[in-house]
Parts: sequence; structure tokens; C-alpha cells
Amino acid sequence: MTAVVHADHLSKWYGQVIGLNDVTLSVPAGVTGLLGPNGSGKSTFMKLVTGQLAPSTGTVTVLGEPIWRNPALYQRLGFCPEQDAFYERMTGLDWVSALLRLNGFDEARALDRARRALELVDLSDASNKKIGAYSKGMRQRVKMAQAVAHDPELLILDEPLAGMDPIARRRMIKLIKEWGIGGRSVMVSSHILHEIESMTPNILLINQGRLIAEGDIHQIRDLIDEHPHTVHIRADHPRQLARAFLAEDDVLSLKFEEQAVVVQTARPDSFYARLTSIAASGELGAIHEVTSPDDNLQAVFQYLVKP
Amino acid sequence: MIEQAQVGLPTPMASTLRIVDLSLGQMLWSRRSVFLGLLVGGPVVLALAIRVLTTPELTSGIRVTGVQVDGASLFGVMIWLLYIRFVVPVLGIFYGTALIADEVDDKTITYLFTRPIPRDAVLMGKYLAYLICTTLLVLPSVVLVYFFVIPVNGGHIGEAFPSLVVDLGVIAVGLAAYGSVFALIGARLRRPLVVGLVFAFGWEPAVLLFPGYLKRLTVGYYLQGLVPHTMPQDSTLSAWMQMFTDTPTLAASLGSLVLLTLGSLWLAGRVVDRREYVLEQ
Repeated sequence: MTAVVHADHLSKWYGQVIGLNDVTLSVPAGVTGLLGPNGSGKSTFMKLVTGQLAPSTGTVTVLGEPIWRNPALYQRLGFCPEQDAFYERMTGLDWVSALLRLNGFDEARALDRARRALELVDLSDASNKKIGAYSKGMRQRVKMAQAVAHDPELLILDEPLAGMDPIARRRMIKLIKEWGIGGRSVMVSSHILHEIESMTPNILLINQGRLIAEGDIHQIRDLIDEHPHTVHIRADHPRQLARAFLAEDDVLSLKFEEQAVVVQTARPDSFYARLTSIAASGELGAIHEVTSPDDNLQAVFQYLVKP
Repeated sequence: MIEQAQVGLPTPMASTLRIVDLSLGQMLWSRRSVFLGLLVGGPVVLALAIRVLTTPELTSGIRVTGVQVDGASLFGVMIWLLYIRFVVPVLGIFYGTALIADEVDDKTITYLFTRPIPRDAVLMGKYLAYLICTTLLVLPSVVLVYFFVIPVNGGHIGEAFPSLVVDLGVIAVGLAAYGSVFALIGARLRRPLVVGLVFAFGWEPAVLLFPGYLKRLTVGYYLQGLVPHTMPQDSTLSAWMQMFTDTPTLAASLGSLVLLTLGSLWLAGRVVDRREYVLEQ
């Protein structure tokens, strides 16, 4: 199978600090997850792959071409960056269509495509609202809309599920999986193994700037079961949620924070499934944000790199 | 899923114009524009005050060293001292240095640099948006000052109109030249605002005071060659300065400013094209 991204002895230095260290890899067509804790080099790799940074040494090619200073290649790429940054005064529709115009679409087609992209991420109702008034989850979705709107061959997503509520998260995972089916490719980064697992079995593991594993997620998955998974849930009624969580034996511990509950679970699959149905029912109030600190993932990495 | 569409790459010109389209609204309705709008309102307030205070009922007119100054001369002084030496550089500094820096600070640069358009088209588009935005800010201010000041001491608005057109042209050239220099400074240096302020209000006035070739490394020197008004000699210092003033010819000034503008923009485009922008998370 042809590689959509190929890195050959790729390194990136920020002065004295190394961001990525001699990475050689090939990303096959389809959906590939890039997994690593915060500060592992994921974002540096993403920036190199999207041509925002130039390699210090080595090479990186995307869809068979070098990406650094090759703007024409962006016609075939869609990028959803990690940072929560927007033209806050623009509406979602104006913003997505303005970016589409930079891809060469005329005004009418840009508007039409922007509408459909916003529909795809379930933002049609809010398309004429200013982005500054969007919730965190809506902002993530409008970012996704601008990435898919021009129908790229390769979609590069940097932490696309961060801060989304469970329902939006489920929709986004479905969208990413579907994108990978239609002959297109997706490279998606996350520091949450469970997220990546729900999208693809094909992963790249990065830690401390090095590629430490690539291939099937299930082998990694077995390792993580030895370590509890932490989930931070911001909700209207965290205590009622906590009561519901304790009804099952997949929860190891609970901790309360301001308007939030932090859960440690031994079985993330069943816990997330339960969380999604609780959120969908709405019986225990709104769940605003679900995030996962990467302490537990760090433990898995430490285990993997242990001599 | 959105169906695939065959669309050609936008030309550099089309890319530039689309960046203008995207940036102009952001630039016009920014806090910076509100602040600088107040700044360009200053000369209008001053002109209004002059107009009110020079009505025949209050005074017999404005005199400099005993000589009565007419409205057209006063307007010329205001154009040179307030607009060309102050407002234009300030606009150039605050907008020019921020053309790319704002997008980097707001972390929105990623959206522009991951589109199939050359990076220098992004800079060029933002530069053109700056020119439109600053022209829209300055134009009403200059016109209002003109209408308030020209009738002082019996001047005729219609007679002085060609001078207004020339002055507006000089201001536009000044905005273009300063904007391009500060765009280069903004693209190249880490603290462009400080460097810009030092250049416009430290280096330029200091070098223009003394004879020699250094003044050719300023924008003000060439703008001086475009100003149609005769500067009033109202003090010993200005008379002394006038002795050393070598004003370039109109053609030399215009040619130098065009070269300076195009050269600065080309260099700024090169810098932006090759620079890595590391956004802090």
C-alpha cells in the first residue's frame, strides 16, 4: 500500500531542545492514530507533516511530495490544528467559506460547500452565529468543518476531540471513520488511547520525540488494562453523575473538583459507553466537557520504554 | 460526506485579493483601528479649534513672526507636521508590524499557511488590506481638516483643491512606504513595535537634523521631496536646519520611495516564506 506520509530520519530541534528525534516511519492509507502524552513530539510531527516547520535533518513527504514550501500540496490536505484560535467576530459560515475561497472556490461554491461542511459536523443551526459565541465543542466542530470542506485526500487532525461532549465526540469519531473508508486517509493525534482505539487499530506511538511502536493497537491495549484510566467530566450535576457511576464496578475511584468529577476506571470501554448514554438521556443534567489527563498513558509509555 | 470537486489552484493575484477580503474586516473593526481612529481625529479637533478661534469676531488671524499665515499655508504645515511626520508613521508602525505578528499571536496563521496559496501572497494581501484600512481612516480626517483650515484668513476651498489632491497622494505614498518598511521589520524582528517606534521617532528625526548621507536611510527624507508646501521659517533652529536641507527632486523622491516600498515588500515576502512560525501551546 502506498504511504500517504513518509518520514526518513526526521529530526526537529528548537535551539537546544529536541522536538523529534530521528523518526523513520510510513503512514499507510486509511485512518492512522498518532498517540503520545503531552510533550511527546506529536505536535512537532504534525507541524512537520503540515509544512509549518522545516525538518532540521531528514525528510518528510506527504502524498509523495515534500511539504515544506510547497503550497500547492495543501489543495490535497485538510488540517484541523490543536489550538483554539479563530477569527472570533466572523460567523462559522463566513469563516469556513472564506477559507474555502483560499482553496480556489468561487464565492457561491464556497458558501455551498461551507454549508454542507457545517451540516456534516452538526453546526447548521449555529452557522450564522459568531464563532466568539460558540461553546468549546462547537469550536472544535467548526475547526473540523474547515478541514473537511474542500474534500481533501488526507485529513490531518491534531487532538480533534479535545473538550467535546460525549455525543459530539461520538459523531466526530463516526465522521473520521467514514472519511477513512471512502478512499481518503486520516492521520489523527491524541493522548488518549481509548479515543484512537475507537477510530482505528493502526497506531504510531511517540514518546520523548521518538517513535517507540507502530502497528496494531490491540497489543498496546492489553498493556493499558494494567493501568487505571482517568476521566475528567465537567457537568451541571457532578454528584448525581458520581452516584450513577458508582452503580457499576468499572469505577475504581472518584474525586470532586469545581463543577466536575474525576473518575478512575479500569474498563474505559464500558465506562465511556455508559457516559454517552447518560449524556444522551439528559436525566442527570448536561455534560459539558470530557477530558482525560495523560498520567495513565504516561505509565504505559514508561512501561514500553523500560529496558 | 462532501463530494470531490476539481478546482484549480488560485493564482497569486486571486490569493492576494482573497486575503484582502478576509483581512480587511478584521483590520477595520479591531481595537487598533478604534485607537488609531481617535489619533487621526486629533488634527480634526485642532483644525476645528483653529477655525473657531480665527473667526473675525475673535481675532484678526494667525501670525507667525509677525506675518499673517493664510489657510493654505497652515494646511500645509498641518499636513507635514501632523500627518506625514506623525500620523502616517504611527499608522505604519501599528498596522505594518502587526500584519503577520497579529495572526501569529492569535494563532490563526495556521489556517492561512495551510492553504494552497504562497505565503508571500498572505503578506501581500494583508499589506493591501492595511493600505485600504489606513486610507479609510486618514482620508476623512484630512478632508475635514482641509475644510476647516483653508477658509482661515479668507482662503478659498476651490482654489486650494489641487493641493489637497497632491497632499492625499503624498500621504498615500507615505502609508505605502512606511507600511512596507514596518512589514519587513514585523516579519524579521522579534520586538517589531519597539524597533518601529525607535526608527520613526528616534532615528528619522535625529538623522534628518544633520547634513550627510545618513538621511537617505529614512523614509521622511524622500517624502519631504514630495511635499508641495513651503515650510515656514519661524525660528532660528528651523532657519539653521533649512541651510542643511537638501531636498531630493520629485522624480528622485518618487523613484526612491517606489524602490523602497517594492524592495521592502519583496524582502518581507522572502522572510515570511522561509520562516518557521512556532506557535506556543
